[in-house]
Amino acid sequence: MAQDFQAISGARFMDPVVLARIGNLELVARAVVDGFINGLHKAPYFGASVDFAEHRGYVPGDDIRRMDWRLWARTDRYYIKEYEAESNMNFSVLLDCSKSMDYGSKGITKFDYARILTACLTNLVHHQRDRVGFVAFDGEVVEHVPPSAKHMETVLHVLDRLKPGRPGNNLKEPLHKLAEHFGRRGVLVVISDFYEEPEAVLDAVSPLRFRGNDLIVFHVLDPTELEFGFSDAQPFEDLESGEQMPVVPDAFREEYRSLVKAHIDALAQSFSAVRVDYTMLDISKPLDHALYRYLGSRAKMMKAR
Amino acid sequence: MSFLAPLFFVALAGLAIPVLLHLTQREKKQIVHFPSLMFVRRIPYQSVRRRKIHNWLLLMVRLAALALIVLAFARPLISHEAAAPIGAGSREVVVLLDNSYSMGFGDHWQRATSAARDQFAKLSASDRATLVLFSSGADIQMRSTSDKTRFNAVLDTVKPGDAATRYSPALKVAGSIVAESTLPRREVVIISDFQRGGWRGEEGARLPQGVTLTPIAVQGAADRANLSVTGLSMARSTFSNQERLTVTAVVTNRTERPVSGSNIALETGGLPVANKSLNVEPGGSASVTFDPVTISSKNFKGTVRLADDALNADNSFNFVVSPSEPVRLTIVDRGNTDLYLSRALSIGEAPKFESVSRQADALSDEDLRRSAVVVLNDVDVSTGLARRLTKFVEQGGGLFVATGPRATWPQDVDLLPATIGNPVDRTRGDAGRIGSLEYGHPVFAPFRAPRSGDFSSVPVYGYRNLTAAKNAQVLARFDAGAPAVAERRVGNGRVLIWGSTLDVTWSDLPQRSVFLPFIHRAVRHLAGYTEPQPWVTVGQVLDASVAPRGASVQRVVLTPSGRRLPIEDEGSDVVELSEKGFYELRGDNNQAMTVVAVNVDPVEADLTPIDPKEIVAAAMGGSTEGEGAQPNGIPLTPEAKEKNQRLWWYLLIAGILLLGVDTLVSNRMAKT
Repeated sequence: MAQDFQAISGARFMDPVVLARIGNLELVARAVVDGFINGLHKAPYFGASVDFAEHRGYVPGDDIRRMDWRLWARTDRYYIKEYEAESNMNFSVLLDCSKSMDYGSKGITKFDYARILTACLTNLVHHQRDRVGFVAFDGEVVEHVPPSAKHMETVLHVLDRLKPGRPGNNLKEPLHKLAEHFGRRGVLVVISDFYEEPEAVLDAVSPLRFRGNDLIVFHVLDPTELEFGFSDAQPFEDLESGEQMPVVPDAFREEYRSLVKAHIDALAQSFSAVRVDYTMLDISKPLDHALYRYLGSRAKMMKAR
Repeated sequence: MSFLAPLFFVALAGLAIPVLLHLTQREKKQIVHFPSLMFVRRIPYQSVRRRKIHNWLLLMVRLAALALIVLAFARPLISHEAAAPIGAGSREVVVLLDNSYSMGFGDHWQRATSAARDQFAKLSASDRATLVLFSSGADIQMRSTSDKTRFNAVLDTVKPGDAATRYSPALKVAGSIVAESTLPRREVVIISDFQRGGWRGEEGARLPQGVTLTPIAVQGAADRANLSVTGLSMARSTFSNQERLTVTAVVTNRTERPVSGSNIALETGGLPVANKSLNVEPGGSASVTFDPVTISSKNFKGTVRLADDALNADNSFNFVVSPSEPVRLTIVDRGNTDLYLSRALSIGEAPKFESVSRQADALSDEDLRRSAVVVLNDVDVSTGLARRLTKFVEQGGGLFVATGPRATWPQDVDLLPATIGNPVDRTRGDAGRIGSLEYGHPVFAPFRAPRSGDFSSVPVYGYRNLTAAKNAQVLARFDAGAPAVAERRVGNGRVLIWGSTLDVTWSDLPQRSVFLPFIHRAVRHLAGYTEPQPWVTVGQVLDASVAPRGASVQRVVLTPSGRRLPIEDEGSDVVELSEKGFYELRGDNNQAMTVVAVNVDPVEADLTPIDPKEIVAAAMGGSTEGEGAQPNGIPLTPEAKEKNQRLWWYLLIAGILLLGVDTLVSNRMAKT
C-alpha cells in the first residue's frame, strides 16, 4: 500500500508493518458525517443509496423516480421511498507537536510514534476515499492542511518537515480555535501526551465535538513516563517549561506511577463519558498491534450499535 | 600542642564545602530531560530528600580529609616539655668538646667550655654525663658521672691541642657510650667550631636509635686577622764545602681582612736569624724567601714564625734538616773490574754514593762497619769472608752479589738468596734475555710504567744457573726460567743476587740505560735509604725503629712539652705525635739520635664552617635532628621545633590518603 508514496518524503512514516496489519480494517465514522461521495459513513442526508430508510408521503417537487409504485398499487397513495445516504468524510488528525512530545527513551520519540500513527491512519482513510486533513499544534496552530481527497501527499510532506520545538502547555487555545474551523462533521483524531489536568484536557477537546465531529483521542506516552524507571538521583528538566528540580527516582517512583495511572484513568473516564474514543499508546509497544486492537474494537462497537 | 599558623583554621570553614557538595552533588549530575514534571512536582518528598545527608561515611571521610589538611597547614608542633611526662627518665648526656687547635681562635675555647659547663649545670641528680675531648681522635675525660664539680675541674685544666678536627671518631665514641647506657633518655651534645675540613662524610658515625644529637656551634669573629704558614719549600746548595739551605715559606690569609706589614721570622736552633715583612690579600697567599742558612749540624732545627694573631697555633712551622749523608758502600772485586759500577755510583745527589773498592782478602772489619752496602763483584768468597758478611747483613747491612764466571760461595754459609750453579753459555744462538720482572718490588718499581726502561732488550750472553732459596724472593728471571735477580732478608739486612756480571764480559747491561737506575735502586734498597722528611704533621706516628743501626736498646722520646716517653724493647716502638714542635728520640747517653719536626695540619687553619645539621643528619640517619635547645642552651623557637617535628607532613599525607579513600568510596557508591 505504501509503494504509491515511495517518492514522498513523509512516506517513511507509513510503517509497512503497521499498514499491513491494519490494511484490511476500516476507520468508520461512528457518527454521521458530511460527505459528497458515497462512502462508508452514514450521511446526514437521505439520498441515493441501497439502504432503505423510510417511506414518506409525496409532496410536489419530489423526484417521481423515487416514488414507490408498488405501494401506490396497494394503497393508491403516493409514497416516496427514502434511502440512507452514505458519504465520504472529512478526516483530520490534530497532532500535538509541543516540546514534550520530543521525548523517547527507547530510540523513538513520542512525536515520531505519533507521526507514524498519523501517516498510517491518514493512509487508511485516504484509501477509504475519505478526505484527509492535518493540523499540528503546540501552544497554537502550527500547521493546517484542510481535509481533501487530494491532500494525502501534502499531509505526508507536512509530517516530514514538522519538528517539535516549542512548549505547548495549553491545549485549550489551539483546539478551541480549531473547533471553529471544522465546519463539516467528520472524524477528528487528536494525538497528544495530554500533560494537563483531565478537566482541562476535556475542556480543551470537547468543543471539537460540538459540530458533531467524531472524536478519537490517542494518548501517547513513553514507558519511562509510565514507569519512571530512573535510578540515579539527578536533576530533571521539564521539556516544556525548562524548569529544573532535583529528583530521587527511587523515592518518587511509586507515587509517580500512581499519579500517572490516576491521570490516565481520569482521562479515560472523562472521554468515555462524552463518547470520545480514548486510547493510551505506549510507544515501546508496536504500533500495529495497538492500532489493530483499537480499530478492531471500534468496528465491533460499530456493529453492536 | 600549639600551631605556627593558626590563621589557617579559618580554612576550616571550608568544611562546609563537602557538606554542601554532599547535599548538592547528586543533583548536579547530568540533567535528565523529562517531558513534564507535572507529576513529579506533586510529590512532596523531594524537598526533604534534598536536605538529607545520604552517606555519613562519605561525609565524614571528606570532612576528616579537609580537617587534616587544614591542620597540616596550621603547622602544629608539640612542645618537648609538654610532650615528655614529668620525670620521664634520667638522662645520659655525652658532651663532645672539640679541642682541636682551631678552637684557640679568639674566644672560641672560652665559649666552648662555658657551653659545656652549662650542659653539666643542667644535670639532675639522677642524670649522668660523660666528657669527651676530641680532635683527630677522641679522649674520654670523665665517664658517666653526675659530679658537676669534677666536670668543672676538668674543664679548668683542658686546653686546645694541636691536632685537627675529625668528627667521626668522637661520634663513634659517643655512640658506644650511649649504647651501653641503661638510662631512658640519651643525648649527645657536640660543642665545636664545626669546621668543614673535619667532616669527610658519614664514615659510619651513626648514633643509636633514640639518641638526640645537639650541636652547639662556637663560631664568629671571622673578621679578625689570621695568617697561617701552610708550607715550606727548601733548596739545598753548597758553599765553601758547607751545605746551605734556602727556606721559602708560604703564608695564607684565611680571613676577609687584608694583612699588611706583618712580621715573619726564620729561627734556627731557637734563635731568629732573619725577619721579613709581608702583605697578604684576604683569602690569598704569599711566599717569603729567606736568605740561605748554613746547615751546621745534624738534626738542624728551624722554625718559620709569624706574629701573633687570632689563632696562634698555625703561626709557626718547624722543620729539621741534616747535612746530606752519602750512602757508603764497599765494592769487593778482583781489582779494577768495577769500572761500570763505580761510574754509575759516582753519579747522584740524593743520595750521594761513596764507594771504595777492596779485594776480597783485603776487606777489613772497618770497611764493613762504615759501609751500608757491600757489593761482591764476581769474586771467590772464602768461608771466613762469608761468615763476616753474614754477620754484617744480620746487623742491617746490605749485600749485593754479582755472579760472573768466577763467583763462588761456600756451601756451608746460608746467606745468599740463591745457590750459584754452573754458567750458562748463551753466546751461541739467541742471547739470553730477562723475561720477567717483579715490578712491585722497590728495585724495579720505577720501571713499571711504559717506556721507563726495558730490561728485556738487554742481551745476556752468559749467566750462572741460580737456584732460589726457600725464603728468597725472585725479582727477575731469564727467558729460560732461571732466576736473574733474587732477594732475601737476613736479620736486619738484605741480600740481593744478580745472576750475571756487572761488566760487559757476560752482558750488555752496563751499557744500557737501565743499568744506572737499577744499581742506584738496588743500593738504596739494600742500604735502607729513605728520603729524610723535614717535618711531619700532628696525628702522624714516629717510628722509633728509625734509630741508627746498632743504637742502644734503651731509647726515650722527648716530646715538645718536655715529657719523656720510654720506648720499650718489645712492642710499641711507635709514638703518636700529638704536639707540634720537635720530638727527639734519644738513646742511653741522652744524645738526640733523631729529631722530628711536627707541625699542625694546615687544613685545620681553614675555619670555613659546615652546617651542623649536616653532621646531625648523618649521625642520626638523616631523619631527625637534635631538638630541645639551641646551641647556646636557649630553648628552640617554635619554628625550629616545628621544623624538627614536621608533624604537618604526616597530617598532609593522612589527608591525601583520606581523599583517596573518599574517591574509592564515592566511585563504589556511584556504581551501586
